[in-house]
Amino acid sequence: MRNNKLRSIYFSLFAAFICILFPWSGIALTLRPDFMLLVLLFWLLRAPNQCSVGTAWFMGLWVDLATGGIFGQYALAYTITTFFAVIYQRRLVLFSSTQQLVYVFSLLLLSQLILLVLKAFAGHDFSGWSYFLPSVTGILLWQIAVTLGLNTGRHSHGN
Amino acid sequence: MMRGIHQNFDQQQAPAFFARGPSPLARLTFFTALSLALMATDSRLQYLANVRENLMTLLHPLQVIANAPLQLYQNTDEYFSTHHYLLAENTRLKKQALMQGIALQRLNLLNLENANLRSMLDAKQSLTETSTLAEIIHVGRDSFTKKIIVNRGKNHHVVTGAAAVDAKGVVGQVTRTYPASSEVTLITDKSLAIPVQIERNGLRAIAFGHGRDNTLDLPYLPANVDIKRGDKLVTSGIDGVYPAGLAVATVIEVKTTQDSPFAHIICAPTGGVENDRQVLLVSIPKIELATAIEALNSEKAMPTTTAEPATTNNAALVNPSTQTTQAPKPAKPLSAQKPLANVESRPHAQQ
Repeated sequence: MRNNKLRSIYFSLFAAFICILFPWSGIALTLRPDFMLLVLLFWLLRAPNQCSVGTAWFMGLWVDLATGGIFGQYALAYTITTFFAVIYQRRLVLFSSTQQLVYVFSLLLLSQLILLVLKAFAGHDFSGWSYFLPSVTGILLWQIAVTLGLNTGRHSHGN
Repeated sequence: MMRGIHQNFDQQQAPAFFARGPSPLARLTFFTALSLALMATDSRLQYLANVRENLMTLLHPLQVIANAPLQLYQNTDEYFSTHHYLLAENTRLKKQALMQGIALQRLNLLNLENANLRSMLDAKQSLTETSTLAEIIHVGRDSFTKKIIVNRGKNHHVVTGAAAVDAKGVVGQVTRTYPASSEVTLITDKSLAIPVQIERNGLRAIAFGHGRDNTLDLPYLPANVDIKRGDKLVTSGIDGVYPAGLAVATVIEVKTTQDSPFAHIICAPTGGVENDRQVLLVSIPKIELATAIEALNSEKAMPTTTAEPATTNNAALVNPSTQTTQAPKPAKPLSAQKPLANVESRPHAQQ
């Protein structure tokens, strides 16, 4: 059972990574949700014992590599974001789906905000409010997944 | 049965609920510190270049896989393209071939003439640049940096610093090379500067990427500089990176404000920076680079003889004051001073 779950965790993270590697361009690029963070948050709520801050950090490094930016940017953003997911995980699984949605949305925004701050330190400018669109599409994707019957750990007490 | 008992036992002894290893805060601190250290190392020191290269080699098959669906779509699309479309394209290409044929004939003549003139001047022969055709594997997913990855790398003799060019003009510069792929920073990226010349009057300047709007800036030029809307910028070739005379951008806006001694000039890139599939990676052989710098040094009679492209960049910018008659004198020292620091802080200029 546990092995099975681990395998599905690895597989979904891998799939999310491939999604990031797709040749996105134009409007699709501005709308592209952060697949990796969504999958990470899902597993953090669903299986907090198998997937932790460390996993998020490690996957963040790969995203850093894929985006060609400075090493550690995504890693740091994911680390902090997942930390907030982990400390509230026990409450989150008891939340109603709306509350959970709001919380996940704020987490997505938080990760983008951290990235923005890091980029600002590197001398880049804020590129307008459309920068935050991936969070919106991300939460839509989350809601679609929940509607389609994906259990986001709400009644499984984190085993 | 056995399993059920085991699970019960397990739960009683140490409920999985609480057994979570180090506290989240400890993990947060540890991994945050690690990330910060990585960032500092990667941005300030060069230790991680090798690591990145090796990991990118690992990543390359994944990139090819991720790119496969689009490739497949394009291939099928091409296969099913209509007769009409092909005919239209054929006519267009024939016309283009004719035009280029004429230009090529003139080029042959000019090459011959150039060789003659060079021999008369006793100058060293310039070598023709080597070029590799590369296909774009993917565009950067980071909305802040304008970078693309192409499918030619060290294995195909691509070197860092090579210029990336398409049919219409300069697209960017190779900033990192991996074994089977390389990273091209587009000219619209904030960290890339490119020495240019106004085609109309030969005024030299440096164009910086704007970073956001897919445009380029021409900073540090005086408010009454002779640049008009519609002026074409071409590479000056002084930097030893780009061959001279390639189209770079067209001026789309010249703004002057009361509170600034500099003109605010915005240019749109000529090359298909955002919508290409293939680019040509052109690298200038070292010999020509040395010759160019030598020529520049003797021309300017500068006491310092450094062979760094970065310094040539500066020289290119200092030069306009001596080159153009229209450019006013008073604002010049300022305009020459400022970019010096600026160019050196740009990462590409160090190469």
